[in-house]
Amino acid sequence: MSRFFRTGESDSDETESDYSDELTASESEDHSDSDDDSSSEDDQPGKKPQGRLFVAGSDDSDSEDDTVRVVRSAKDKRFEEIDLAVTAMANGQKINDWVSVQNEFDRANKALQKAAGIIAQSGVPKFYIKAIAELEKAIQSGLDKEKTASKKMNASNAKALNSMKQKVKKNNRLYEKEIQEYEKDPEHYDVQEEEVVVASKTKAKKPKKVLSESEEEESGEEEEEADDGFTPVGAGGKTVEFTQENLFKKLKEVIDARGKKNTNREEQVRILERLLVIANTPYQKILVLLNLISAQFDFAIGLSGYMSISLWKNAEKYLNNLLTILESNSGYIVKEDIPEEDDIEKDRVPEDGKTVFIQGSIIAFIDRLDDEFTKSLQNIDPHTTDYVDRLKDEVGLYAVIVRSNAYFRGLEQTDAICRTTMRRLEHLYFKPDVVIIAVENATAALLPQKIANPAKESAALIHDLCVYLYKNANSLQRTRAMLCHIYHHALHNRFFVARDMLLMSHLQETIHQADVTTQILHNRAMVQLGLCAFREGMIRESQTCLQDISGTGRVKELLAQGLQAQRYGAVSPEQEKLERQRQLPFHMHINLELLECVYLTCSMLLEIPAMAASGANPENRKKVISKPFRRMLDYNSRQVFSGPPENTRDHIMGAAKALASGEWQKSIELINAIKIWDLMPSTDKIKEMLGHKIQEEGLRTYLFSNASYYSSVGLDQLAKMFDLPLATVVSIVSKLIWNEELSASIDQVTNVVVLHHVEATKLQSLALAFAEKAAGFVEGNEKLLESKTPQQGERPKKGPNANKDQTTGKQQQQRTMGPRGNRGGRNQFNNGLGNSVRGGRK
Amino acid sequence: MAAQYDLTSKMIPFLDQHLVFPLLEFLEINELFYSPSSLLEARYELSLKTNMIDFIDKLHGDLVNAGVAPGSIESAKRREEILEKLEASQSEARKVLDVIENPDVIAALRQDKLQNLQFLKDNYGMTPEMIQTLYKFGQFQYSCGNYGGAADMLYHYRVLSTDDNLGLSALWGKLASEILVGNWEVAFEAVQELKENIDKTHFPSALHQLEQRTWFLHWSLFVFFNHPKGRDAVVDLFLQPAYINTIQTSCPWILRYLTAAVITNKRRKTLVKDLVKIIEHESYQYRDPVTEFVEALYISFDFDLAKKKLVECEEVLENDFFLVAVQEEFIQNARCFISETYCRIHQKIDVAELSQTLNMSKEEGEKWIVNLIRDTRVDAKIDYKENTVLMNTNTTSVYQQIIERTKGLSFRSQVLATSIEKREAAQAKAIQHEKNHPSTEA
Repeated sequence: MSRFFRTGESDSDETESDYSDELTASESEDHSDSDDDSSSEDDQPGKKPQGRLFVAGSDDSDSEDDTVRVVRSAKDKRFEEIDLAVTAMANGQKINDWVSVQNEFDRANKALQKAAGIIAQSGVPKFYIKAIAELEKAIQSGLDKEKTASKKMNASNAKALNSMKQKVKKNNRLYEKEIQEYEKDPEHYDVQEEEVVVASKTKAKKPKKVLSESEEEESGEEEEEADDGFTPVGAGGKTVEFTQENLFKKLKEVIDARGKKNTNREEQVRILERLLVIANTPYQKILVLLNLISAQFDFAIGLSGYMSISLWKNAEKYLNNLLTILESNSGYIVKEDIPEEDDIEKDRVPEDGKTVFIQGSIIAFIDRLDDEFTKSLQNIDPHTTDYVDRLKDEVGLYAVIVRSNAYFRGLEQTDAICRTTMRRLEHLYFKPDVVIIAVENATAALLPQKIANPAKESAALIHDLCVYLYKNANSLQRTRAMLCHIYHHALHNRFFVARDMLLMSHLQETIHQADVTTQILHNRAMVQLGLCAFREGMIRESQTCLQDISGTGRVKELLAQGLQAQRYGAVSPEQEKLERQRQLPFHMHINLELLECVYLTCSMLLEIPAMAASGANPENRKKVISKPFRRMLDYNSRQVFSGPPENTRDHIMGAAKALASGEWQKSIELINAIKIWDLMPSTDKIKEMLGHKIQEEGLRTYLFSNASYYSSVGLDQLAKMFDLPLATVVSIVSKLIWNEELSASIDQVTNVVVLHHVEATKLQSLALAFAEKAAGFVEGNEKLLESKTPQQGERPKKGPNANKDQTTGKQQQQRTMGPRGNRGGRNQFNNGLGNSVRGGRK
Repeated sequence: MAAQYDLTSKMIPFLDQHLVFPLLEFLEINELFYSPSSLLEARYELSLKTNMIDFIDKLHGDLVNAGVAPGSIESAKRREEILEKLEASQSEARKVLDVIENPDVIAALRQDKLQNLQFLKDNYGMTPEMIQTLYKFGQFQYSCGNYGGAADMLYHYRVLSTDDNLGLSALWGKLASEILVGNWEVAFEAVQELKENIDKTHFPSALHQLEQRTWFLHWSLFVFFNHPKGRDAVVDLFLQPAYINTIQTSCPWILRYLTAAVITNKRRKTLVKDLVKIIEHESYQYRDPVTEFVEALYISFDFDLAKKKLVECEEVLENDFFLVAVQEEFIQNARCFISETYCRIHQKIDVAELSQTLNMSKEEGEKWIVNLIRDTRVDAKIDYKENTVLMNTNTTSVYQQIIERTKGLSFRSQVLATSIEKREAAQAKAIQHEKNHPSTEA
């Protein structure tokens, strides 16, 4: 209905709005009347004075009689009009005159639009529904007949029929539900209608409440302080009754008005708040609260792109209230999948152990509340105090989630438990131990005694949450829980556990099929795993973990931590919007500079010895471990002047160069000078670890690059040079020898490394190169042949070659011709190959 | 010190209670780690769950002698019950056995189990339930400690039964019985059969299969370290990806046995590389002197540490139920590994130093090196004057390298040429064909 309202009324909006400016802003009940009159201004200018007069009457004078008369007559008049049109339409159908049917249909709809306000109250007139349902059938049969009929309709009639078909189809979609109802029971539909009409008439006969309420609303603001006694005095001096009896009716009115174009949302909220005060049975309270919370969420999102914080807090407060009521009244259960109660205007109490089900969805509220929170964090500038203030609300939100989780556990609604558990997990997984414990304790203070159960240890808490999800949740939630778990383990330096989980879950094989947010989570987990490996001193592992993400140069995008600079302007606005929605709030970010620093440091430690090992051999030089690192190093070394290092990159590049030339002390110095290490826990330990690694890698690099200049090197000398214990040097050298990376051996007696030189003479090395090249050629040829070999079964097989013998002679003749002739085009060449394969198989 | 490397407590959960007895007995005899009375008590507790009534009595007596007074047991009553039950199931099983052992029947039995069942049912009125009794009887006998009988029964059952699940259980039972009887040849076969069964059976969940494999790994140790061919089999089996995964996920301590098996296996030196990888990978989960030895030797190349670990290994192996038999061999082979690695890295070695590394006296060391040079054909010579070993490094000459690189070239080119020729011929033929029959192409 509301949809119809919106589409139908768009043209009268503007007149409506300036019109309502004249009136008081709070005018819900009389909207219906003013609505049709305002629209009638556009449609039938002749009626304008009457409308004016009426509106004036209804608004300015509080006379009861006036209102009664107007309400009745307006409704009847509108319905009469529709009725007339409908009857004419039926007549038109009978004589197959589609032009007139079309006219009447338009007239009926116009009338219906005018009656929109009334309809909002009493529903779409049933005779109209009946008519349009019949109409659709008639059109269908008309079209069918037209197809088979020998004599065609005249052109205008046929055209009308066709356009009617479109119109009706579009129109009927709006009334789908009603039509279905009608289809179910065509005979009795009308009868019900009569009753409804009667009922609505009787309702309309009691205008006092309507009026007094509208008055009350008008004067609501003035009276806010005075109305603790439920009988506020209106401006006109009349008492307004907000009582138990009319609570449900008011509520229904509010519900009905929800989502309409010109419903004043603030007003609605105010009414609901008042109703909440009055409500005294749990049922009433629950109902009012449910609507109140939705009303908070209904507020249009302004320019800021997120729900205003005060509203959010209200919603949170009411949600808490709702949960309190539900917790203490186990007889009431709010559920999604129960039919809507037609008659909410009756208090319901649980009888003999039966529970009362109320339609609604708490989990949806929680989801919305959480999402709005994230949205607000996405939009607030993270460098302001606003952000911090906002972040403080997280505890409250978290408490609500925990609380609802406990509530759902009581009801054993697995799906809802999983969703809240997931939310809970997503609030926790990226936080360090201390923070988690703090959050848990703060939350416990906010929760009622029996739920409050602050976790003592974060790992155990995360484990419990995840295990629950593994056991009960759907596969997506399981995946996410797994990733959160991995992230948490990695954050707390449990590298092996995290890695084993990642490997055993086989997530990496399927993650590319997952949705984007899960992929982002996966990326985050991978990055965190890499950082964890780095902290634990496992350089190679760390580099491998980070390679996929840091190596791409799209880190921001992959981690959803800020929009990437426009790539060739190829991003459509929608895409950008989506990307914006996926952004993580600032406090969840992984420091990108730190990440880059770690990645480059790891790359340096692996790449520099590898580069030294490959030496001048261009073949080996092609084996690149980290492309970005190489690029940067190239760029850096191409510069004519290089100033003192300023940023992280400069430092690492400098360190890399120093390492390459064997100046390990300088390398360590430069690495240690990087400020961002301070962001890591236990910085000193990490620096120490890096120092050791640089020493070792420096030794390796030194051996690789200088091996050809020495015939033997003293182990003691090496140990002294790199300030390493002798045993470590021996171990490193032994490893190099064992892995055949270095052709040398140790002389134990004199304690030196004897380097074997395979001194090749010029001729020998040329011979070697020649052999290499020849092998390359053969390989190239083989590859070429392979690539030219077409797919088998490319073309259908020809029939058996019966006259093979006959053609042999000619074939031979053709042989020399064949290839030359075929050289013409590539396609033909391929065809020829196709034949050859077939020939070969014969 | 060695107590921390005792795996008994880790392994017990994956073994059958009957299989635990030998382990406990071993500990008791060697007076290792635990006090004898507590071990006795453990055995007693364990035996209470079985039906080996005489054994329980004996243990009870021992315990009383040892001064620990366990609660009295109503052995007499229980004995009667058990005997009664035994008799009952025996008589039931007898019926089936009478039929099966009938030569006519044996002659009539075929490969097809279903057909056999039908045949037995038609001619002798045997129902599947009756065959079931064989299984029950076997199980009962097993629990009474009559392993030989149990193995027989379970064998018969497996021949006749078509129930896969019980069949698997029967196979497990048979393996256990054979192990306890010490019939390694048959047990070895059972192990192979069981492995096939586990691999091909579809278990309800991966976890289930993992569990089965874990059990299997533990049980098979009994067989593998007692059967002559076992050491080869253990390497083959455990290094299969499925079993490596099992070891990594559920029972990393099995690595000790795998390591021991690889090291004592002379013919499979190539496997060392795989083993090193696994040990390095798992070092955070499990380490003991045996794996640490490999780690020291092949990962950190710390020969001193390797030497130290080897001493520790000796003790650990001595106290390990399964490995005690291969201790000597292990030490020999480990020395071999050390000296081989040492020689490959070094050019000139002091004999005294090397002997020390190998935990040997100088003379012994020299002898050892000579043997080594002879056996493994290490290209080395002993310089008696300087008392050193000189290794000849064999760098491949440039000529060799070139020959190596160009070896396949002419052959490969030839292949290439022929294939091109062939193609051309076929192509020409096809074109010819097309010319003659343009319609077929269209």
